[in-house]
Amino acid sequence: MSALRALIVSEARILLRDRMALFFTLAFPLIFILIFGFLMGDIGDVSQASMGVFVAPGIDRDLLDGTLSTAGSMAIERFESLTAMQEAVTDRDVDFALSWDGTDLRFFYDANRVQENFAFQQVAAGLSSDFNLRLQDAEPLISVEPIDVGEIESTGWFHLVLPGILAFSVLSSGLFAVSGHLTSMKERKVLDRLVVTPMPPVALLAAIVVVRLVVVYASTLITLLVGVLAFGLRYDVSWLRFTVFVACATVGTMGLGTIIALLVRRPSSASNIANVLAMVMLFLAGIYFPVEFMPRFLRAISVGMPLTHMANALRYATGVIDMAETEFWAITLSFLGLAIVLFPILARYVVRPLRR
Amino acid sequence: MKGILFLARTHVLTAIRERITLFWFLIFPVFMLVLLSLIFGQIGQEGEINLDVAWINRDAGGEDPGGFTTAVESVFERLGTEQAPGQLPLFTLHRPDPGEDLDTFLEEQLTLLRRGRWDAVIVLPSGFGQALYAGIAGAVEPGEGTAPLSVYMSETSVASTMAAEIIEQVLGEVDREILARTGRFDPSLAVESETVWLGASDEETRYVDFLLPGIVLMGFFVNGLFGVPGAILFNRDRKVLRRYWVTPLSVPRYFAGFALGHLALCGLQFTLLYLLGRYGFGATISFAQPAAALTLLLAALTFMAFGFLIASLVRTANAGMATANILNMPMMFLSGMFFPVAGLPAFLKAVVYANPVSYLVVGLRTSVGVESSSYAPALLVGVPLGWIALSVVVAARRLKWDVER
Repeated sequence: MSALRALIVSEARILLRDRMALFFTLAFPLIFILIFGFLMGDIGDVSQASMGVFVAPGIDRDLLDGTLSTAGSMAIERFESLTAMQEAVTDRDVDFALSWDGTDLRFFYDANRVQENFAFQQVAAGLSSDFNLRLQDAEPLISVEPIDVGEIESTGWFHLVLPGILAFSVLSSGLFAVSGHLTSMKERKVLDRLVVTPMPPVALLAAIVVVRLVVVYASTLITLLVGVLAFGLRYDVSWLRFTVFVACATVGTMGLGTIIALLVRRPSSASNIANVLAMVMLFLAGIYFPVEFMPRFLRAISVGMPLTHMANALRYATGVIDMAETEFWAITLSFLGLAIVLFPILARYVVRPLRR
Repeated sequence: MKGILFLARTHVLTAIRERITLFWFLIFPVFMLVLLSLIFGQIGQEGEINLDVAWINRDAGGEDPGGFTTAVESVFERLGTEQAPGQLPLFTLHRPDPGEDLDTFLEEQLTLLRRGRWDAVIVLPSGFGQALYAGIAGAVEPGEGTAPLSVYMSETSVASTMAAEIIEQVLGEVDREILARTGRFDPSLAVESETVWLGASDEETRYVDFLLPGIVLMGFFVNGLFGVPGAILFNRDRKVLRRYWVTPLSVPRYFAGFALGHLALCGLQFTLLYLLGRYGFGATISFAQPAAALTLLLAALTFMAFGFLIASLVRTANAGMATANILNMPMMFLSGMFFPVAGLPAFLKAVVYANPVSYLVVGLRTSVGVESSSYAPALLVGVPLGWIALSVVVAARRLKWDVER
């Protein structure tokens, strides 16, 4: 037991002295939140959009004003000349614009806003339809009543991004912990010295697991706290689910890192492979782009990615999406199962001296 | 000169033989090109989106004097079938089996909606057809004769929000059709809205045309950020460079060979990405113009210089790679390379303005006609040149070409 304690202390010291590893574990998720939270938050969301409006002189504005009153929270900016309005669109002072000269209803878009125009066009279609009905004094016969079924209070995309980043942080930490750390110990021949002592391989693994678990858990808490305090995000965290999931996912992804450690000899190669895998999963797992935006076959690939399920489980544990309780525990226990299956392999084949 | 060319060739071959370099150099840019084209190139396009919608008609078998319930249902049925070969139907409709209890079915569908399996649930209430008929017949006061229809959606899902908007638009069209057929709306008097694209041409820029310059620059950026410090520092730490220095080769000649090799790699990278963009994704932009070619050259030089800057600021190759890793994502994404940066808060805008990638991205896109520059022309060239000058000065003073004894 004292040997295990000594190993834990030494692993903790190694990690604390490795400023780069600490940076990646603690600060990187925060940088990701900052960048992607702001970048991706607005895509497809027109509630914060602004629309320029120009009505030709002498034309009755009341009709159009009636239609514009249905535009919700979108900002409306009026222009006195068509040219000024077009310039505002190309200068991106407004997102899109509308002109009415008594005959033509024209919508102006910046041709280069390729990622946002689809959302503006949807708004335009609704306004156009409403305008035409008003023009002929007709009233809609069918009234659509949208009902939000979410038992969870409406959340923006940013709320979903943060648990996704936490999941990515857990994944990369788990993958790198074993693949990078153990291969590095091998390369520096530290393992050679350790395995000739009475230390069982499993004790070393246990020490790595304990230290990483504490650091990863602290990292997720700090990230969550920054999200809440700095960005005003609100989460209804189920701490039991959150804690159990982070623990199981960390050991599970460490198990996945085993496979990398088995395949490579050099720590740089292990880090590279882990980096590539994490990056591919990051873009396909719906962390930054909603999975729903993807074509069907990419959605199917996404389902096969562990990170997709990790992100969803953490979103559930933080109360931003709904999920069947059985599904959550199935995901959690799958990661635990991965660890149970892969750790003996790790102890048997990885924790041993460098092959010569 | 022969020695310089030999070094350039060695640099290119080494980069290509290293599988990890090949990944970042070629496979990752291609992956991003494919992924972003598939995701953002098809948003909202007919035949590319398919929404899972549950359909419950509580009015089936009820009084439907004008046949309106059937008409509305047939519109959704039509949208639930493939309109053209290879095109996805707009909706995949999920309906109860004959005789199935509708309340139980609705509960099940709402659970699936909450859990993100379905995008929307539409419920045609009992008496829908009758209410619609009464509205048309003028049996009720204006504004009170509308037939309500419930669309259940989940605001936590982007697809569900989109589905609700699309369903509302479809029903709006149905509404207009019914109004027209009953003489309450004259389609010939309707004002058709016109779309005006403001830009270099009178049509919307194709997503792949917008994306390709960004992907090319991303390739150059990653090549400079990881490739340069990687090659210099690993060769230094493994004492490969020391072996060069015992030959008559001087540092300037080594640098000339390295730079030539780096530019050749960028050229190769550009060619492959351009061919893929053009023939794989139908990109139509042309880089065969002086402004575009000069911007590409400026970009390759800026990122190479930036790589030397990193190499001169760190002690070991591993630290160089870690620094490159830290800078990679923020510099790439806070430049407008892939996503608009106009809406960022001031403290992140400051990063955008200091970032040389921002100016090169805008410069390249402007030169190929897919963006109108928001920066003064002098800045598009001046800021990258400033970074080159800074990198050269720092590297000249700090970069160590041999391991310390």
